[in-house]
Amino acid sequence: MDLEMVKYLSKLGKLSFTDEELEKAAKDMTSIIEIMDTIKEIDITYEPIKDNHNVYLGGLREDISADSFPTEKILQNAVNSESCFVVPKVVE
Amino acid sequence: MNVAELKIRDMRKMLDGKEISAAELAEAYLKRIEDTDGQLESYITVTPEEAKKAAEKAQSVIDSGNAGALTGIPLAIKDNICTDGVKTTCASKMLEDFVPPYNATVMEKLNADNIVMLGKTSMDEFAMGGSTQTSAFKKTKNPYDLGRVPGGSSGGSAAAVGASLCAAALGSDTGGSIRQPASFCGVTGLKPTYGRVSRYGLVAFASSLDQIGPIAKDAHDCAIILNAISGYDYHDGTSAKRDVPDFTAKIGQDIKGMKIAMPKEFYADGIDPEVREAVEKAAKWYEQQGAAIVECSMPSLKYAVAAYYLIASAEASSNLSRYDGIKYGHRSEVGDSYSDLVCNSRSEGFGDEVKRRILLGNYALSSGYYDAYYGKAMALKQKIREEYDSIFEGCDVILTPTAPTVAYGVNENISDPAKMYQADICTVTVNIASLPAISTPCGYDKDGMPIGMSIIGKRWDEATVIQAADVYEKQFAYVPAKL
Repeated sequence: MDLEMVKYLSKLGKLSFTDEELEKAAKDMTSIIEIMDTIKEIDITYEPIKDNHNVYLGGLREDISADSFPTEKILQNAVNSESCFVVPKVVE
Repeated sequence: MNVAELKIRDMRKMLDGKEISAAELAEAYLKRIEDTDGQLESYITVTPEEAKKAAEKAQSVIDSGNAGALTGIPLAIKDNICTDGVKTTCASKMLEDFVPPYNATVMEKLNADNIVMLGKTSMDEFAMGGSTQTSAFKKTKNPYDLGRVPGGSSGGSAAAVGASLCAAALGSDTGGSIRQPASFCGVTGLKPTYGRVSRYGLVAFASSLDQIGPIAKDAHDCAIILNAISGYDYHDGTSAKRDVPDFTAKIGQDIKGMKIAMPKEFYADGIDPEVREAVEKAAKWYEQQGAAIVECSMPSLKYAVAAYYLIASAEASSNLSRYDGIKYGHRSEVGDSYSDLVCNSRSEGFGDEVKRRILLGNYALSSGYYDAYYGKAMALKQKIREEYDSIFEGCDVILTPTAPTVAYGVNENISDPAKMYQADICTVTVNIASLPAISTPCGYDKDGMPIGMSIIGKRWDEATVIQAADVYEKQFAYVPAKL
């Protein structure tokens, strides 16, 4: 895998790497993709209709409102909060 | 009293018979943790104060004559299972200070039975790994040899059980993360059928594969814990609405006539000869007890590692996109814009292996590669499930090695992620096919390291794999860890 591809994938994943880390990631990913490439030799097609994704539709709950968490509990793990989540200024 | 020798049901009798109090039992384990966990590093967080309070409450329930199967039993919990008010780090800098505002459903169930939680155990970061060496905090060692890994990702839980630093523990299994560390640490680990146990409050890695399960001293203890944590949960749409049987019900029943399949691909090159011999010897023993060994084949096994890593990483890259440093988790001090803040928080918070999985997942799902990788992996998932269904038409359980080797040295394989991935060959198909499986010790190699065998069952038939493991354990010459 070349450096440009690693840069593209890291951008998708919102990750940044130093030049040295990028080189290492490219090397690791190349050996990992070699294993993944073994599946190219088998000729089969996915049939979504046969896959229930392990979701048991009979188990879906009623769409009714229920108690939620108090605001302070939800904010307790935010490093920077003032009765709401705080993000850098987006609009000037 | 030597707590190291006690099983959960022995403790139950002693607690109910007033031979020991819940506080004394908890104290005995806390002392062992204090004395030995400095070397083993199995716990990220120990909770002595909470344990003492829980023991007091458990004792009052015992005294009232209303004790459940796990009342007063000291357990450890993998650190990716949310515990209200107790840090849940996933062994990641990203969640170093994260205190969940709620309990996972499994914790609600265990607390309703008044267990005594001793603490939270180490693991590979976000459950990604098979050695517990990707933990940002505690790189757990093997209780049989401190120079070796405990396996992973539930390595802290398995090592703590192996070293008797808890009566039993909860782990989670996405591609072998309960069974492989159980094998490496000489204990018993059970991965339930997908949907048997609620995943609500289990920090998500690969949602279609993750499942919580017990790690204990034997299959009977695993069954007792599975009884307590199973069942439909309206918080988890993938938990199954079906009756939960008593998983101890078949324990002690004769295995005469049981059909045990051994797919030849699981015994091929790449499996250490000592491991293969130990599992084959166990098969012979089953045969002598009247079980029938069935030869069979799983041709798709050679593609299983690739299919697993593509599916799991694709799901992980989506699941981990929630970590933005804003709502919870590590927040970078650098970043003037929203996107810079998110990128810096993630880059500082995630370790190398987690980043690799995100890159691989994005690769599998990205335009131009989706059909060749993710689409093909999903097709293989269907094929592997069909092959299992076909094998189960002619057998009751399947017997395989749990891992190709025994536990390896702490510095081996760490720099070669591709080699680490291939070591999951024996366990990943069980998750792909949503099946239940148990790993139990079946021998020791020339250096005294434990060898595990896996018994895989039909969907929802945990009771039979527990029965098969239990009958073997009753005659197995178990050698406890040196620690």
